[in-house]
Amino acid sequence: MDLLTITQQTTLRAAIDRIIPPDQFPGGWEVGVGDYFARQFTGDLAAFVGRYTVGLDALDALARQGDTIPFAALPTAAQDQLLAQIEADVYGGELAQFFALLVTHAMEGYYGNPENGGNRDAVAWQMIGFEVRG
Amino acid sequence: MSAARYDAIVVGAGAGGGVAAAVLAEAGKRVLLLERGPALSFAEVGRDHLRNQRFSQHGHNAGPALDGNPRVATDAQGKTRLLRPHEGGYHNNAAIVGGGTRVYGAQAWRFLPNDFRMASTYGVPEGSSLADWPLDYDELAPYYERAEWELGVSGNGAASANELPRERDYPMPPLPPTTQTRILRRGADALGWATTPVPLLINSVPHDGRDACIRCQHCVGFACPVDAKNGAQNTVIPRALATGNCELVTNAMVTRIATDGAGRASGVDYLDRDDMPQEARAEVVILAAGAVETARLLLNSATDREPTGIGNSSDQVGRHLQGHAYTGVNARFAEPVYDGLGPGVSIATLRFNHGNDGIIGGGMLADEFVILPIIFQQRYLPPNLPRWGAANKTFMREAYRYVTDVKGPIQEIPSRKGRVTVDPDVRDRYGLPVARFSGTTHPETIRTAQFIQDRAREWVEAAGAIETWSTPPRLQLFGGQHQAGTCRMGDDPRTSVVDRRCRVHGHDNLFVADGSPHVTNGGVNPVLTILALAYRTAEGILRAW
Repeated sequence: MDLLTITQQTTLRAAIDRIIPPDQFPGGWEVGVGDYFARQFTGDLAAFVGRYTVGLDALDALARQGDTIPFAALPTAAQDQLLAQIEADVYGGELAQFFALLVTHAMEGYYGNPENGGNRDAVAWQMIGFEVRG
Repeated sequence: MSAARYDAIVVGAGAGGGVAAAVLAEAGKRVLLLERGPALSFAEVGRDHLRNQRFSQHGHNAGPALDGNPRVATDAQGKTRLLRPHEGGYHNNAAIVGGGTRVYGAQAWRFLPNDFRMASTYGVPEGSSLADWPLDYDELAPYYERAEWELGVSGNGAASANELPRERDYPMPPLPPTTQTRILRRGADALGWATTPVPLLINSVPHDGRDACIRCQHCVGFACPVDAKNGAQNTVIPRALATGNCELVTNAMVTRIATDGAGRASGVDYLDRDDMPQEARAEVVILAAGAVETARLLLNSATDREPTGIGNSSDQVGRHLQGHAYTGVNARFAEPVYDGLGPGVSIATLRFNHGNDGIIGGGMLADEFVILPIIFQQRYLPPNLPRWGAANKTFMREAYRYVTDVKGPIQEIPSRKGRVTVDPDVRDRYGLPVARFSGTTHPETIRTAQFIQDRAREWVEAAGAIETWSTPPRLQLFGGQHQAGTCRMGDDPRTSVVDRRCRVHGHDNLFVADGSPHVTNGGVNPVLTILALAYRTAEGILRAW
């Protein structure tokens, strides 16, 4: 994860937990979606690192512009609102595409097999009822 | 360098190549079986949910290597895209010993009698290359039966006897039904539709010295943990090797078909695992590299005598590429449909393969394999559901076991424009021009697909679905795991590549034994037809030897 600045990492963590928020089951960060990114950034997602640094900076800058506080420090409802606006193309296609990419990759970490770094102890699979037998 | 000599060389150790090698080796012929990929163990195929034949977001589990094996796709505007093997539009099939059968879902359908006479049944839509096969169901039936018994199919022959007449039942009973089976059967019964258990090249009981299916959740796209899935790698290829007459060479990339001065095939040249050039010579050469790679090899083997590629004097090699346009409907039920038992696919209807008013052909409808969670997330969400956030997560939790889909392989209406050529500029890591795709099948395919999708919706609604959703069928080229058609079988060399013996026109010792000769590709999974045709072709070779 040292390919990202501390602020970028914090923004990523906050975004992951809005994409897969904690409820009665753990959120994305708790089960290792961050570890998934950390591992894949030096693997199959290496080509995307540049887009992540730019995208996470842009996301954080939007939060600081509007509410003068970092994205990660916004209340979750405000985070959701900002992400929904990004998704709806309010801040331009590039950022919307970055967010779609982030969602895709976060879901891979959460619902993929634990060997990829996320979905620790197959928590996501237990949640939905996918049991591996045999 | 002196060339190694054999009686026969088979290029490709998948379904068709495995059968051809076994039949010839068991008859005492010395066979060289060349496979461009390795033989992979169960552990090597693995269970990576992000890199497999079903979901290849970041790679594959059965080859070919992501680097050094590009292909080129061309869109309607002529714009090209360079593709890696795991990317959409590459039309990949597994490149390992066993080919696609190592990791397939193993549906073991015969083509229906009318699948062999599409043109005379429906006429030829303008702009399509729809045609009859030069052989019919009855001619292939004994070879279907042989494939069913020698590789091992579980099923219930009586349940599909109206559509697929047979002399002998399958060697194994069908797998026991699941909750999904029962719910869908309820719907079909309400509609008065006949259904059949899906015939599978999977052991429902111990068979041929191997175990029965343990109903795991990783069937299609992966290797079997107990070796209960019957593919070339655990049936015909071991039999070929057991004769002592067959030599299997893996990681062997065939670079060209060698010909003598008269244009007769004399063998092949290949690069071995160390990329060292090798020559092998034989009386008979059989191509079974899959519809994309077989066409590419013929085109890349051009000679002074055949400057546009072997067997390509009529510009037919690579045309009529078909696979299957899959269409269906996702459905959510009020009760759980998934009970945890694999492989998942279990119940089908052949009611709409033919005889649909105003529609050309049709397709089989069946339920789905166990859906991997990441596939569910990325392909099964209703269109109005948020792609992230609390509602998304709640849906995953509440709906995963309540959703399935019914879908089917649509009989594609071929076009000569949907084709494989070789790219003039792009070469692979072996220095060979790569496959280049252009065109699509005929637009009639979409009308058929829409009709079948409507029937799928009817089925799940009758079964009690509380919500359904689907994406409209779209005209595009399908090759992939069901790739076929690129070396069309026919009596007229002007409109076909191989004759009814699957022998390349003008070459009395060069044969094709994969999906390439399929004139049309049926509205069911094609592997049993590839196997049956390979049995017939190999027997024909022996008879004429």
